[in-house]
Formats: sequence, structure tokens, C-alpha cells
Amino acid sequence: MTAQKLIAAAKQDGRAALDELAGKQLLASFGISVPKSVITKDAAAVAQAIAGMQPPFALKVMSPEILHKSDAGGVKIGLKNAEELEQAITAMAAAPQIKTARVDGWLIEEMAPAGQEVVVGAVRDPNFGPLVMVGLGGIFVEILADVAFRICPITRLDAAEMLDELKGVALLDGARGRVRASREAIIDVLLKIGGENGLLMQHAEDFKEADINPLIVSANGAVAVDARFVLA
Amino acid sequence: MNAIVERFNPLFKPKTVAVVGASTKGAALPNVFIRRIRELGFTGPIYPIHPTAPEIDGLKAYRSLADTPEPIDYTFIAIAGALIPPLLAAANGRVKFAQVVSSGFGEVDEGRDLQQKLVDAAHAGGMRLLGPNCLGIYSPRGHLTFTEIGPRPAGSVGVVSQSGGLGTDIVRRGLNRGIKFSGLVTVGNCADIGPSDMLEYYFADPDTRVIGMYIETARDARRIFEILRAEKARKPVVLLKGGRTKLGLAAAVSHTGSLAGDDRAWVALSRQTGCILAESLDEFIDTLLIFQTLTPRADKPTERVVLFGNGGGASVLATDTYARLGLEVAPFAQDTIDALAELKLPPGTSITNPVDCPVGTLQQDDGRVAEKIVDIIYGIGKPEALVMHLNMAPFVGRSKPEVLDNVVLAAMRVQQKFPGLAHFLLVLRSDGDEQIEARKREFRAKAVELGIPVFDEIGNAGYALKALRAHERFLQSRSG
Repeated sequence: MTAQKLIAAAKQDGRAALDELAGKQLLASFGISVPKSVITKDAAAVAQAIAGMQPPFALKVMSPEILHKSDAGGVKIGLKNAEELEQAITAMAAAPQIKTARVDGWLIEEMAPAGQEVVVGAVRDPNFGPLVMVGLGGIFVEILADVAFRICPITRLDAAEMLDELKGVALLDGARGRVRASREAIIDVLLKIGGENGLLMQHAEDFKEADINPLIVSANGAVAVDARFVLA
Repeated sequence: MNAIVERFNPLFKPKTVAVVGASTKGAALPNVFIRRIRELGFTGPIYPIHPTAPEIDGLKAYRSLADTPEPIDYTFIAIAGALIPPLLAAANGRVKFAQVVSSGFGEVDEGRDLQQKLVDAAHAGGMRLLGPNCLGIYSPRGHLTFTEIGPRPAGSVGVVSQSGGLGTDIVRRGLNRGIKFSGLVTVGNCADIGPSDMLEYYFADPDTRVIGMYIETARDARRIFEILRAEKARKPVVLLKGGRTKLGLAAAVSHTGSLAGDDRAWVALSRQTGCILAESLDEFIDTLLIFQTLTPRADKPTERVVLFGNGGGASVLATDTYARLGLEVAPFAQDTIDALAELKLPPGTSITNPVDCPVGTLQQDDGRVAEKIVDIIYGIGKPEALVMHLNMAPFVGRSKPEVLDNVVLAAMRVQQKFPGLAHFLLVLRSDGDEQIEARKREFRAKAVELGIPVFDEIGNAGYALKALRAHERFLQSRSG
């Protein structure tokens, strides 16, 4: 589906935000890697749905009524085969917050290779227009607020300087025993989001805020594992 | 001529001026305006507009903006707000710029409609509008001023301020520090002309080399970004942003009556366009001054700084301050130290970096010893900047008056011997004593004439140097 159609469909549905799959399709349409995924309506159809996909899998509930999937018990990772997926769906469907919610389906994704968690975000400033943000995942963003902002559109040099501005930048090079994360892969994602012809410049009026959290970055590339786009 | 320069020239260099609101008793603000611009050397026609009076302050008065003998470049208006829209609408395309001092417009809820009427009337009358709720313009090139100052030479620093009061501070304090302006425009409520228009003009204006902006709330922030982005710091831009904290933001909203942007966006703006974000009025003025006087070097950004002067403790503290600013006041290499040791300066003199010379040392040869010291620093040490700091108190009374001059002139001779090697900054430290303040003022004026930026404390010079370095680094990173 094209970006325009994804956004139009969500608006027509009366949604405040794109659902996770639509968010990832939007990212994919701008050339950002997302996990290979499939949606199944019920546990019985799992084996057929995952044909040709590589384990391990992540399983996520798809519901416009559940904002924080993990808190609701709607995320399970490291599932090895159809049988484990079926059991997980059955258990998830019985969780109190999920049982009472409208469930659109179950998202099954190939898990991204190990890497560092990075957050790429966006907000729309009423005077400046769209801003793009980058930070290292987890406590670095949430507690230390170690993030860098730029006004869109950004250049490749701007994106590189955003990374250098982070206090934790040394972690990307593999400090403290971490996996080395590719700077170039993060810079590419920042440009696809905030660059001259990036997502934010083409859809400046469509979104109030957005984030890719986490973007899993290894030495070879970056994969957007979760995406949230709040409609304007 | 560039179209933007041509469009705004009548504002900065008007040939004809009209004044609305002057009284026959000569006591109203517009009367003061007439007196001030005459004092500043404005010799073109001034047309008072008045409903009944035949003459004001010896000038023939006219009933309407459409009745004057010549079209009007610039109109100064200070009458009740409700009377202004009909006045402007009747101008019949004969006025280029109208500046409205009057308040009671968009800065208060009940004035919003009136502000819209004002804008519509300005369009109908065929003019651009400055304000309302704005003090106006200081333009030595055009002999215009809104603050009480004598004639001053025009210069190369162009400023736009969203606050009239702060604009006054910038002009008066700036002039006393040696800043020479190509213009300072207060834009008030920005109903028509906003900060981005002035930014665009100053970039186009050949007389302006340095640009300063005081901004509280910018509805035209996106345009400011786009101009700065396109210009790539071709001229240094120093930005003082009010309302960067939550409480400051609330104060700004009540001051200008519009919503201000997020601080994160202003920091981002600075990082990606190379404009300098000053943290205070002092830093703003110090930074404008350094850009007015020194030429940024994109090929060799300022890293290593030498401190040279009298005052051991002061230079230790300054070394700490500079280190926090990321400026390197590192000890000299052995060859420089050896060469300085050859001078056999008296005990108590420190010849590493900072170079600390008590007055006893500096008055050798009536101050000319400084030439030998600076010559070694430049010739062998080759720093990117030299900050000479002189604590005035020990000089005054203890040495001949010319010693101070000789110390600085000696440094200047070396400066000329090594063109383009190092930035030279002077710090004149005073303890506030009346006699010392007077000597400092006189001495500062002389230094400023020689094109030397003079600062009050070593730390202030450090903040300005940091801004200069940021500009140099930005140009270097964006070259090629």
C-alpha cells in the first residue's frame, strides 16, 4: 500500500494513530528495513501463515484499544515454531486486558538480529515544522534524555553530528562490551525519515509525532522493530 | 541593486519622513522623535500630519498622508490605536513604511481584531507595516533613532529585536562598547514585518557584516530556518532567544502575546545553521563585538589560546573557565618557554601559559617589554588567539600613564608583524573605582578605534571566543 493510502485508511477508520503494521509498511515504503511479518486472525491458521519465514518469532496483539502492548501482556518473543505460536496466541487472547478489547489480529514477525537499541523520533513544532530526533534506547532516552534534535530537512552531515552530540555515542562503537552498531545504518534511517525527500518532509501535515522505538542496529544494518505514528 | 535591499532602503535610509501624533505644544513622543532625528542629522523633509494645526514645531502640517508634497518613505505613528486604520487606508499608495508605536493591538486579547484591521488598512494603503507596539528603528545611515543618543557613525552590525526596551539596551550598551550599527529594528507585534524579513534584508545588505536577533516568539520561525539554512553562515548570526525555560516562556507569551517555540528547536537551529545562541544580553553584545572586529578563520578554527596579563589568580580562574568552554589554555612547548626565559624577566613572572606578569614586569622599558614577550608567543608558540588582560588598578598611580598604552601598542605591533596568525582580544579589568573607570572608558575608546575588541572580564572574552570558534568550525565543516 502507498504511504498516502495507509494514512487515508487510518483516518477513515477514525484511528488516532497508525497501527503497528501500517506504521511499518509506511517505513518500508521509505526504504527502511522492517521485520518480515504476517498477520493471522486465529491460532489455527498459524502454520500456514509462517510458511517461508525464519524463526525465532515475535508475537504481538493488534488492537486499536491497546496502547501499551507489553503492559497488557500482548507481546511475546523468542517463539520457535508454529506450535509455540499457537499456544502463545491462545494464552494472550485470555489475558484480562486483551479478552475485553477489539482484536484485529495477531502480528507474527521474524526477530531482528541482535544489536543496539536506538530511538528515532519526530515531533511537529508549530512554528518550525517537523523535527527529527535520535537517542540511544532504554534508559538513555527515558531517564537521561540523551537525545539530539534537528529541524527537517537534515543533511547527511547533520545526521552524523546528531549522533556525535549524544553523550552515549561511544556505546555505538562497541564500548562496555556491546555489539558494534553501524553509524551509517542509523544515518541512513535518519535521512529517510528527516532528509530532503524523507517521510517527514513529504508528510509534514499528517503526523503530530512519531517514533521508531526500538530501531535495532547491528554492525550490518538497522531494523525498525516497533513504530508509532500519531496522526495530526 | 538587490531587490530586497531596494525594498527596505526607504526604511533604513528614508528621504522623506511623516510624523503622526505630534502636538502643537511640542511635548508628545512624535515631537521628541522630530527633535531626535534632526539632532542625528536628518535633513530631508519632515511632514507632521495633524487634523487641524497649520504648523507643528515650525513645520507645515498636513491633514492626511495623501496630502504631502512628496511621497513618504517612512511614517512614525503614535496616536490612539482605533484612529490608525483609517489614516493608513487613506494613504493612497504614497507611503512605503508605517511604524506604529501605539499599543493595544495583538498583544492583548481585546486588540486582536484591531490588529487585523490595521494590517488590512496597511495593505489597502499600499505600505509595509512595522509594529504595532514597537519603538521603531535606529539607523545611523538614515539618521533615524528611537533612543536619545548623539550622532554616531554607521557600522556593520544589523540587529532585529522583538522587544523595544531590550533594543534600546542593545543600542546604548553596544555603542558604549564600540559596536557600530548598520541598523537596529524593533518589530513589536510583527503584524506584518517580522524577524525573518529583517534577517533576509541584513544578509542582502552590503553594509551589514554581522547580524544579531533578539526573539521571543517567532511565527516566522520556519522562514528564519530556511534563510539561515540557505545562507550557510555567510555572515555570522548571533541569536538571543527569550523564553527558553518554561517560566521564561510564560513571561514571553504575556509580553508579545503569541506562542513561542520549543527550546529544543532553537538549539537544533543553531547546530544545523551555524547561528550562535547567546545565553545573556552581555554575551550577545560581547559576541556581536568580536564578530564586528575580528575576521573568522574557517581554515584554522580557534583552539589554543594564550592568556597574558597581570593577575595570577585571575588567570588561574580564567584558565578554568576557558577549559569549561573547551578552549585550550595549555602550557607552552619547551622552545617557547626557553625563549621567554632568555628575557630574564623579574621573579614573580610566570612564563608558561597563562603568562602572568606583575605590573613591575610590565612597566619595564615603559611597557615596551610586552613587545618582546608577545613576539616570542606569536613567533614560536603560534596560538590561534591571544587574550591580553590588564587589571587597571595596579597601573593607575603606580606607573606612568603611557605604560598602559605602550603595553597594548607593543602587542599591536607584533599583531601586525604576524598578519592572520592569531586573534587579539583585550580585557580591561576595573574594580569600579571612579578614577579607574574613567581611565578605562578613555582607554577602551582608543582601543576600539584601533579595531580591538575590549571586554570587561577574561571570562566574557572567553564566551565571545567560543562563539567565534563555533562559527569558524561551522564554516570549516560546511566548506567544500
